[in-house]
This record gives sequence, C-alpha cells and structure tokens, in this order.
Amino acid sequence: MNWNLGEALRRWARWFRPGLGVLLVLLILYPLWGTGYGVRVLLQLFMWIALAQSWNLISGLTGYVSFGHVAFFGMGAYTAGILVTQGVLWPLAALAGGAMAVILAFVIGWPCLRLKGPYFAIAMLGLNEVLRVAASYFEGLTGGGLGLSLPTLDASVRVYYAMGVVAAAVTVLTHAIVTSRFGLRLMTIREDEVAAEAMGIDTFRYKIYAFLLSAAAPGIVGGLAARDMGYIEPVSVFPLVTTITMIVMVLFGGKGTIWGPVLGAVILFGFQELVWAHFPHAHQVLLGAIIITVVLAMPRGILGVLQQKYNLPRTI
Amino acid sequence: MPIILQVKNLVKRFGGVTAVNGVSLALEAGKIYGLIGPNGSGKTTLFNCITGIEERDAGAVGFKGRRIDGLKPHQIFHRGIGRTFQIIRVFPELTARENLMVVTSGDLERARQRAEELLRFVKLERLADEYAGNLSYGQQKLVEFIRVLMTDPELILLDEPAAGVNRTLLNELLDAVRALRDRGKTILLVEHDMKVVMGLCETVFVLDHGEKLAEGPPGVIQSDERVIEAYFGR
Repeated sequence: MNWNLGEALRRWARWFRPGLGVLLVLLILYPLWGTGYGVRVLLQLFMWIALAQSWNLISGLTGYVSFGHVAFFGMGAYTAGILVTQGVLWPLAALAGGAMAVILAFVIGWPCLRLKGPYFAIAMLGLNEVLRVAASYFEGLTGGGLGLSLPTLDASVRVYYAMGVVAAAVTVLTHAIVTSRFGLRLMTIREDEVAAEAMGIDTFRYKIYAFLLSAAAPGIVGGLAARDMGYIEPVSVFPLVTTITMIVMVLFGGKGTIWGPVLGAVILFGFQELVWAHFPHAHQVLLGAIIITVVLAMPRGILGVLQQKYNLPRTI
Repeated sequence: MPIILQVKNLVKRFGGVTAVNGVSLALEAGKIYGLIGPNGSGKTTLFNCITGIEERDAGAVGFKGRRIDGLKPHQIFHRGIGRTFQIIRVFPELTARENLMVVTSGDLERARQRAEELLRFVKLERLADEYAGNLSYGQQKLVEFIRVLMTDPELILLDEPAAGVNRTLLNELLDAVRALRDRGKTILLVEHDMKVVMGLCETVFVLDHGEKLAEGPPGVIQSDERVIEAYFGR
C-alpha cells in the first residue's frame, strides 16, 4: 500500500490553519442566522472544549489526574451567581468566578500537589464533595439545597461569544505551553518526576503553575453557565459526571496534545446531542464503555496514537 | 587539589534496614572515583542521599564547602551535581532533543545548539527527533549521559554507565568520561564491570553492608583481603 496516513496528515496540515480560520469566521457569524437551539448547542460545545482543555493542562501534561475538576466550575458558578444577584454585571461576575477558582486551586494545590498521583486524584475527588456539601450548608450565601435563582436575562448570544472566547483562549494557551520549554518540563513530571527533579526541574512549582492555569477557565465557564442556566443548585454545578466527561473527552482525543481535547469534546458532545439524547440512561453506560475501550485499546487517544505512530510534530 | 565533595558519617535507614551506615568520603576535584561493592551494599542509596532524592537520617554532605544535605534534588542539581540512574530514566515520550532541552534555562536557541553538539558527540544526531522511548537501551543510556552534560556540572555521578552498553559504544563513553576529567570535572561512578573500574578510576571506595570497607588505588583494592572476602565470601 502506497498511501500513507502520516504523509497525508502532513499534507493536510497545510490546510489546517486556513481551514481553522474559515471555521472561526463561520462560528462568529453563526448567531446571525442560527436558531436559538443551535446557538445553545454550540455554546455548550465551547464550554466542554474549555473544560476538557483545562483538565488536559494539569492532568494531560503533568500526569496528575484531577478527579474533582468540576469543583472549579462549581466555584465559578456560585461566585458569579452570588455576584449577579448582588447586581454585578455577568461578564465581570464570570471573571471573578475564574479568579476565585484560581485562588481555590492555590489553597488546594499547595498541600495536595505534594501527594503522589493516586492520592492527589482522591484528594481532588474529596474536594468536590466537600464543596458540594458546603454549598448546601451555607444557606445564607448560596440558598442551600433550594439553589440560587439569577435575575432573568436573555443573553444566550452574548454567552455564546463569551464561551467561544474562553474556549479559544485556553486552546491558544495550550498551544503556547505545549510548544514551549515550560510545557516540555510539565511533561517531564508525567514521564518521570524523580528524574525531572534530578535534572534541576522544580517539579512542585511547575505543578502549581499548571494547576492554577487549569482552574481559571473552568471558573469562568462555570460563571457563564450559571448566567446561562439562570438557576444553580449544588447538585447541578458539582456533578462528578462532569469531571468524568472532561476526562473521557481528553483521553479519547489524546491527552497532552493541543487538539486532542477539542477533538474529544466535538466527537463526544456531538454524539451526545445527536444520539444519546434519545437514550438518556444509556449516556453514562456509554461513557463507561468508552473509558474502558480507550484505556485498553489506545491509551494515548486518537491524536496520541497518530503522533506516536507517524512521528508527527506536537502541533498536529 | 581542593576537596569538592565531602560526605561525613552518612546514615540512611529503611525501616529496620540500615542501607548506609556511617559512610564518610572525600572527593578531590578533577579526578575519577569508583564506588564498588556487592549488590545491596548501599551504593545507589548513597547516590540518592548525595543528590537529595532520599533524605538522610544522619550525617552531612558538603559540596564546594557548603552543606547540601536537606536541599531538594533540583537545588542540588543547580549547585553543580548531575547524575544518571542505574535503571534508565529518560523521558520516553519526549524526543531525544527535547530530553536535553528541558534541562537548561535561558536562551532556547543556545540550548538547541548545545543539544545538537552533544547528540553529535555520541553520534545520535540522526535520532534527535525520535521519541526517547523508541531508542535502544544503549542509545537511551547515552541520552541520559549527555543530558547530565547540558549544564556542565562540576561533579557527575554515574550509576552503572557500562551496564548493557556494547564495547564500541562503551569505549566512546569512557573516553568521554576521561575528557570530562581532563576539563577539571569530578566523576564518581558505580560500576560492576571491574575492567572499567580498574582502567578508569584513580581511587576506589568499597562498600559492604552499608559501610565503607576500603579505599585506595584500584591495584591495591583488587588484592585487598577484605574486599575479596566481601565479594566471594571466605
């Protein structure tokens, strides 16, 4: 067989940037003719890209698996929700949500990033549970289990653009990191933390940086989602299944790559909207099945396998 | 020559096992030292204590006149001590070139040039963009060796550099070690291949059961009763 997938990918890579540009323009113009439903679907897709991409920054690059990343989403949602009910403009409230998520990441990361891999994963799982209970408990601030209603406002199109900007920003950030020495150093932590230390890399500091960067977008996106949903409650903004979905998207697309999380988000979210929506109970079963298949058959994910097999540059 | 590394009464215990038991040694700058001893005699643990990967239980380590025990491994590296590992620890999903480039800070272009230079030095320039994990055992060993040289450390600890490396490659590696010594670097190497130790080292330390059994020029050590006993039994 003369046809070589690696060569083909390299040839297509030339059209990647122009294609991406056209796609971006289409997405920017979409709300002009798109339906309300279409705008909301894409808005959620942007949210998933931002979430998956953020999880990739800490877990895909350093190998420190965060099982509680939705905690930052919830933190952002509540911060923004509370501020909006106090009369703060929602874009500012969402940014404040991002800031609070980064602060939370620092408070949690400082002790927990000293833990080795599996213990860190469990600690993050615990963090999410604690925050959910805390959100139910502090009724005066959060409305407790009854939840928090935001003033009504039809801002779908504006939230669409805001989500899109966040998704694009995290992807650009990931590109900058993966193509830099900073990114390579994050990867050495995943590859062999002891050797990284012995080669002069301050692994703890690098893990903290990655963790803070990985918390910002989920916080902002959580704040935007709160505005979009108009109503938040502990179970809706701290669901474990959101973290699991982020993880599956990244593993499926290719952990530690630039476009893997985007690919994973597009494919899985697309499937969810087109197919699984008709079989709501099968959703989680399918997620589980995908995890097992990916881990067993292609632990590097789609892009990871292609990169390794055809020795492609990290930017593909 | 001035003393570059001074280890004093170093003790390291793992539970009930005392892996290193009051070892003292002093290395003069610009020489090649060997560290030998039967399996489990504490050679690698001693390396780990010097480089901060294991925390010592007692004793002191001084480097260029300043204490380094208690520092983190990355701080000790920046003081000027580089090391390789007994079991290869390259970064498998980074390319050979990237394995080298992560080590230095500062100008990226200079790091790239230094990496190229070193890869040419061990004749691996053809494989610069190959994932380190795809290289052969001997090639990975070379990548690990030149990775240490990226920042030009004063003291280099090599943990079994000869193991699993073919003769031709080995001779090149040993020449490289001598060249480093000639440039004033100090080298301490753990090695089981006695021919390598005898041909390369000016002074040899012998460890047994975590204690320093003997110290001296290779010729003397080779005929030392206690050393022969430690290796072969009475």
